[in-house]
Amino acid sequence: MSFPKKPGGKALDVLQNLPRITLANLRPEPGARKRERRRGRGQHGGNRSGRGHKGERQRGTRPRLGFEGGQTPFYLAIPKYGFNEGHSRRPQYQPLSLKRLQYLIDLGRVDPTQPIDLTQLVNARGVTIQPLKRDYGVQLVDEGSDIFAAKINIEVQRASEGAIAAVERNGGVITTSFYDPISIEILIRPVPFFMRGQPIPKRMLPGEDMVPYYTSAENRGYLADPDKIQQARLALAQKYGYVLPDISRDELYHMLAMRKDVRQVFFGLSPGWVVNMAERKILKPTDEKLLKYYTS
Amino acid sequence: MALTSQLRAALVHIHAGSSAAGLRSASSSSPQQQNPALIESTEEFVFVERLIAPSRIPDPPKHAGPAPSGWTPPAETPPPLPYMIRRSRMHNIPVYTDLTHGNRKMTLVRKVEGDIWALEKDVKQFLQELTGKDMPTQVNEVTMTLKIKGHFDQELKSWLSSKGF
Repeated sequence: MSFPKKPGGKALDVLQNLPRITLANLRPEPGARKRERRRGRGQHGGNRSGRGHKGERQRGTRPRLGFEGGQTPFYLAIPKYGFNEGHSRRPQYQPLSLKRLQYLIDLGRVDPTQPIDLTQLVNARGVTIQPLKRDYGVQLVDEGSDIFAAKINIEVQRASEGAIAAVERNGGVITTSFYDPISIEILIRPVPFFMRGQPIPKRMLPGEDMVPYYTSAENRGYLADPDKIQQARLALAQKYGYVLPDISRDELYHMLAMRKDVRQVFFGLSPGWVVNMAERKILKPTDEKLLKYYTS
Repeated sequence: MALTSQLRAALVHIHAGSSAAGLRSASSSSPQQQNPALIESTEEFVFVERLIAPSRIPDPPKHAGPAPSGWTPPAETPPPLPYMIRRSRMHNIPVYTDLTHGNRKMTLVRKVEGDIWALEKDVKQFLQELTGKDMPTQVNEVTMTLKIKGHFDQELKSWLSSKGF
């Protein structure tokens, strides 16, 4: 197992036994260096010097790239269409495959006995979220859904149907919830936020276009009706052909049932609280108006 | 969810409390006053500790055989070969692919210890059986790495993990 480090090995023996290496002894590998063809010299580089015969080619007066001799060029004939219009206003979601999630759990970087949050995923270096590039969180993708075998309580921002089925088939719980950009910034870097000394803000509700997504039970939205979610779980189990395990009998049921409040950013910490990292204390406000604001 | 109800309970308590219009001192006032502007508590700091990122890479838990994701732990005792290939920082096999000039495919085996020429011989024999061709390899004795022409990372990874590295 412990091999003594002999740097150089055979190369070092060669260096020590053969005569001294000088510029006179060194030579490149045959075929490594090839002479370049100098234009305007010799039988092959000379004569027309690789420019062809007469015309714009030889004289170097060809028109610009894309010109088609007067015919309306391709790049002007095709009409404009706003494919990328408003691209900087579109929310993006970093994909997380079930294969990668299983890999993180297997290597002990993500703890399946605690609720899995975006903070936990970023701390485990499983995903990298860039809130400044319009990332609104992480989306669960069903690549690797056939090898996924972990019972987890996971909260993502978007999830494909196959991924939801794979998580629930193994007895887990999946929720999709919305985080506005400020909340995302705080969620992925909690410690620098706590060092600022600002109170934890309340999470904003989704905009008009995202409300249908987060209120539908098929997407396991956090604003959806819990009864409808249960029905959707049964329907999905029927669709994908597996038996839905009963999680109420599970010993980790308390952990699996943990969910954040609609306005809560962190598990266990309410909006309005200030965290004192140096003295390891939490400061809670008592003013009536503040409490009313933070609990609204 | 239970904690916003805690905040609501605090709100009710303030309503039922004695003095109206609490004192508006900016930051932490002394708790001895009738109506403190802040309550300090250390019970919920557990939740803050959970949010702090670990600074060291955790050791993987014990698996009997390959894990569901396909990751295999290294053998307890290293195999009795004249060379050893260590695992990377993230506990994976250090075989990597490289692509230069858009079309030059290479496979790199890093973190080799011991007799690298024996490893080169074994790798050449393995690839001979796999492809039927003799793949050019380059041994770098200073950095103790082995470069192979072509992409063979999946095959080499499974071969090395089957050996027990």
